[in-house]
Amino acid sequence: MSERGAERFPIEKMRVNRHRWIFWSSMAGLLITLSALLATLLFLVWQATPIIRQSGAGFVFGRLWYYPEQMFGALAMIYGTAVVSLVALTLAVPVALGTAVLSAEYLDAGARLVVKSAVELLAGVPSVVYGLIGVLFLREWVYRGLAPFDPISGDSLFTAGLLLAVMILPTITTLCDDALRAVPASQRAAARSLGLTRAESVLHVALPQAAPGLLAAILLGLGRALGETVAVFLVVGRQDNQLPDKLFSWDALISPGQTLTSKLGGPETHLAYGDPLHWAAMAGLAVLLLVMTALCLAAAKGIEKLTKSRAARVAGQS
Amino acid sequence: MTGSRKFIRWLLPTLGLVSALVVAVVVIFIVTVLLQRGTSSVSIHFLTTDTRGAGSEGGIFYQILGTCILIGSALAVAVPPALAISLVRSVFLQPHTRLGKALDLILHLLNGIPAIVFGILGLLIFSKLFGWGKSWLAGGILLGVMILPTLTVALIERLAAVPRAYIEAATGLGLTRGQIILAIWLPQSSGGLITGSLLGLARAAGETAPILFVTAVFSGATVPTGIVDNPLLALPYHIFVLAQDSFHEGARANLWGAALVLVTLITVLNLAALPLRFRLHEESRHA
Repeated sequence: MSERGAERFPIEKMRVNRHRWIFWSSMAGLLITLSALLATLLFLVWQATPIIRQSGAGFVFGRLWYYPEQMFGALAMIYGTAVVSLVALTLAVPVALGTAVLSAEYLDAGARLVVKSAVELLAGVPSVVYGLIGVLFLREWVYRGLAPFDPISGDSLFTAGLLLAVMILPTITTLCDDALRAVPASQRAAARSLGLTRAESVLHVALPQAAPGLLAAILLGLGRALGETVAVFLVVGRQDNQLPDKLFSWDALISPGQTLTSKLGGPETHLAYGDPLHWAAMAGLAVLLLVMTALCLAAAKGIEKLTKSRAARVAGQS
Repeated sequence: MTGSRKFIRWLLPTLGLVSALVVAVVVIFIVTVLLQRGTSSVSIHFLTTDTRGAGSEGGIFYQILGTCILIGSALAVAVPPALAISLVRSVFLQPHTRLGKALDLILHLLNGIPAIVFGILGLLIFSKLFGWGKSWLAGGILLGVMILPTLTVALIERLAAVPRAYIEAATGLGLTRGQIILAIWLPQSSGGLITGSLLGLARAAGETAPILFVTAVFSGATVPTGIVDNPLLALPYHIFVLAQDSFHEGARANLWGAALVLVTLITVLNLAALPLRFRLHEESRHA
């Protein structure tokens, strides 16, 4: 083709231009999505400003929440969220870790698949169904089981924590399993060739090497626990202002309480909208919840990143 | 071998076994309860009639329909941005740029936003600011944003698994980047879109908190005819309400039937996603 022909039919240019829309629409889609999300979150924070302006840190550390008197202190709910999550972690972590050790270190592929499927099944049950099981079974069991301690009812922070433990079990188990499987087989082989038993190679090689991954798994489980709403809502009792004087209180544990999420999920959210300060306080609770979960997730991600760079250093040395 | 070494050698797998037994007991309990209580109330009649008597009689037809409308609209909302974000992340950006990592972090954080926060945001934006009252579309959009990370991450994984040789061959043939996307990147990663969509649908179907304030009502809604003040009945919300205040025998039966239907729907969606997930792992191992 002559030079003039190429000028008349600029094939390359036509091709390039015809599919430019993919690039531009992708970029536009990305920017629109991200800016809409950011704008929405900032809007929520802005909605919470009146309560911060009025009470400042008193909003976070205030002990009393009584909206007819315009008293908005979130500490009892923060305490509830912390206790419920702590109970859940205490119960779920040992079971999750044990299951992960068994499936990653002791089982063959077939048996491992069975364990994985069972855990996936648990992960697939929606939180409202866990809530239903909590309402119709767990509440009753806890009430009877704790009868010697004379609980007010089966609804308590402890019940909610117990239910949450089951709900975060799949998350922690799967991630712990992944972390253990990520430890190179050659490390175990080296430990075994030095005469360590399988149990010792797990305790002294696999677990320490997987430790950051295990910690990240626990943090992600905690992130889920903090934000879980519906199941907790149904069994926590939803009593305001149940803040005990001591940090740990057996009475508060087996009494009805309130978490950040159960408060936000309750009827007060609708009620609050008419009153600017009350609404600001509710929005403030949502922001608190967001900050707490984001910190957990970011910490988990940070640990993951640290491990990767350390692994890269180790690989570079050898 | 000393006694304590022998003891530990025996102890560790025993502890593992005990933990796995705890998991097994929980799984078996949940499955048995759902099947035992649920199957007696699930029938063709139950699936195809309206609820009557505040949940004590009739079926859950409109709850099932409502949930299907919700998860369908959630998917429709989530697919375009998921495609856009994953294309930018995996095709337009170089793999290890700072922007790419920032995108990963944003998706990770978005995935962790508690469901109830979406509910509050929805109340604020759709119900109050837009004046939609209770609307199916508000729920669809909220659930769509919630499943966006699931879809996007599945797509990114799949895009990353597209063999380099295909791209190099296409470049060698003189195809432009746009053509390579249409001819190779997208068709080769369609499995990721399907897997992500199924997992996303499964997740959206079970969520209660996001639709609590902006979409779901307990009775009196059928098929939406517009956007403003067009609420839906939905399975999770139905269970949520009945779990709180109905101890009528008939309502119990209805409740367990609805729970069984919901868990079955979610399990089917999750299982449908499984073959493609396994295939991906097989391929990436060979790569």
